[in-house]
Amino acid sequence: MITFPRTTVFGLVRRVAATELTNPSIYVLICEPEAMSAVQSDLAAEIEVQLGADLRSFDASHVTIDILAQAIASNRTPGVTLLAMARWEHTLVDSIDRNIVLLTQVGPVLFLTSFDVAERILTRAPNLRSRLADVLIIGPDEPIGGAS
Amino acid sequence: MQKQAESAPTTVAFDRRQVYRPFLESLNAVAPSRDVFARDLIIPRVHDPHDLHQPPIYEALAQTAELNRGAQMALVGGIGSGKTTEMLLTQKFLNRHSDAVNVFVDMADYTDLNELNPGAILATIGIRLYAWLKRKGDVPDAASVAYRKLRQLAFPQRKLVSPEALEPDYDGEEGVWVETPGLMKARFPDLRHEVKEVKDLALAVASPLLVDDAQITFLIDGLDRLINVERFREFAEQDLRALRGTKITVIVVAPLMLLYDKSRFIQDYFDIVKHIPAAKGQQETAFLRQILERRGVLELMDRSELSSIVKFSGGVIRDLLTLASSAAADAYRDQQDRIAPRHVRAAVNQLGNRYLVGLGNVQRRRLRRLAENEEFNVDDPVSVALLVNRQVLEYFDRGRESFAVHPALAKVLPKPE
Repeated sequence: MITFPRTTVFGLVRRVAATELTNPSIYVLICEPEAMSAVQSDLAAEIEVQLGADLRSFDASHVTIDILAQAIASNRTPGVTLLAMARWEHTLVDSIDRNIVLLTQVGPVLFLTSFDVAERILTRAPNLRSRLADVLIIGPDEPIGGAS
Repeated sequence: MQKQAESAPTTVAFDRRQVYRPFLESLNAVAPSRDVFARDLIIPRVHDPHDLHQPPIYEALAQTAELNRGAQMALVGGIGSGKTTEMLLTQKFLNRHSDAVNVFVDMADYTDLNELNPGAILATIGIRLYAWLKRKGDVPDAASVAYRKLRQLAFPQRKLVSPEALEPDYDGEEGVWVETPGLMKARFPDLRHEVKEVKDLALAVASPLLVDDAQITFLIDGLDRLINVERFREFAEQDLRALRGTKITVIVVAPLMLLYDKSRFIQDYFDIVKHIPAAKGQQETAFLRQILERRGVLELMDRSELSSIVKFSGGVIRDLLTLASSAAADAYRDQQDRIAPRHVRAAVNQLGNRYLVGLGNVQRRRLRRLAENEEFNVDDPVSVALLVNRQVLEYFDRGRESFAVHPALAKVLPKPE
């Protein structure tokens, strides 16, 4: 099994905060499918706290490259874009791979997905893979004073 | 050491961010090339990477455009090899003549490259030339009319049509078309009707410039991402061929696979083909070092770390920046003021794992064979995929072509069980 570095939601946002929000960067974030919505909520909260910005989330099964590109291009305020991909979306990933420059025009873009889907993204989208800032395994933040 | 960092006051962490932030921004491998130019971070090559005695690619392409109007040139290179940068350097070089019309286009900015149709490149050329004319002042009526028709053809339309108008237009013609092969096989297929139409409109838009004998050069990026050789060939045979004889010069970025295609289409079709291989050899290594030094890496790492990054990048410029940036991010996460060897090692492993993901036994065997015997045949689909995906890199050193497993991948490639 190939492993990627682990991070927390806090750690990822801290990493994103290391550069300006207008600086383009693309991350693939791998998490357990059942934890995806919890990670998404934690990310939204952490981005608001650490960066004072919005997380704009999209469900991969409901978007096309045009919708995604338009959403990124029309952002008036700096923010973070998240694409949650619960299952493999061949057409969308193929479009993203060929039109990858549209995702590298402004701000961070996060692909939140499972290991299986991430594997297919890395294999079948070489243009996207070549532009990734990082591939990280992420889980929801542990609650402070949580289970011991 | 670690304890000291952990117990340091908050202001120290804040200062570290100020150190790493500009560094990470200057190393951003996906920053728009125009921004990188604006920040003066570009290091142009001083020679053609294929032949150290030849001028750099951007100079050769620009000089051909200046002297042979209507020339068609292709720039080939693997993912992350620096093709866009070379195109922008070419444009900058061409801009030395203020009367030249030089237009850089990434086709993805105009249409989904997955749904690109023949004629789209011609339409884009017409649209961009109209914008150029508009910026410069008055546009003749004929060019404006042609532009409006061009837009109607290029973009989806929505209009109210009466039901009668939707009836099939049957003109009573009887019989079927029969094709009879001639004595000579046509070298290229006929231009499609719609491509001819778009060509006429694009040329009508361009006519004020062509009448003035202007030097028009289009630098078209993005077609390399089509990857599929046949798709690229279709655009060359339709859009680019329609431009032959028009005195509009085109320089296109083409997929790497065309270079190894048995039909030799790219070599036969284009007037000039330039290739950016992965960087190898003394001069090319010095070039990679300069790229990192220009971006300030020596403020945060020693020369030995810089050398490791150059080595494990395999000579792929984007991987070079990715490795330096990953190592910096790791050092920042580790609360260190400088990048240490362990941060570089972690970055190399990360990059190697990205290349390793999804490789099955067949591919792994092929990679091991290449690593052990330098045996690599570009004729079969498995090898082609490895090359396109950059798990295998192509080099050209002192007139000799060679292949090697990407060094970051080689580092993590499991040994056979």
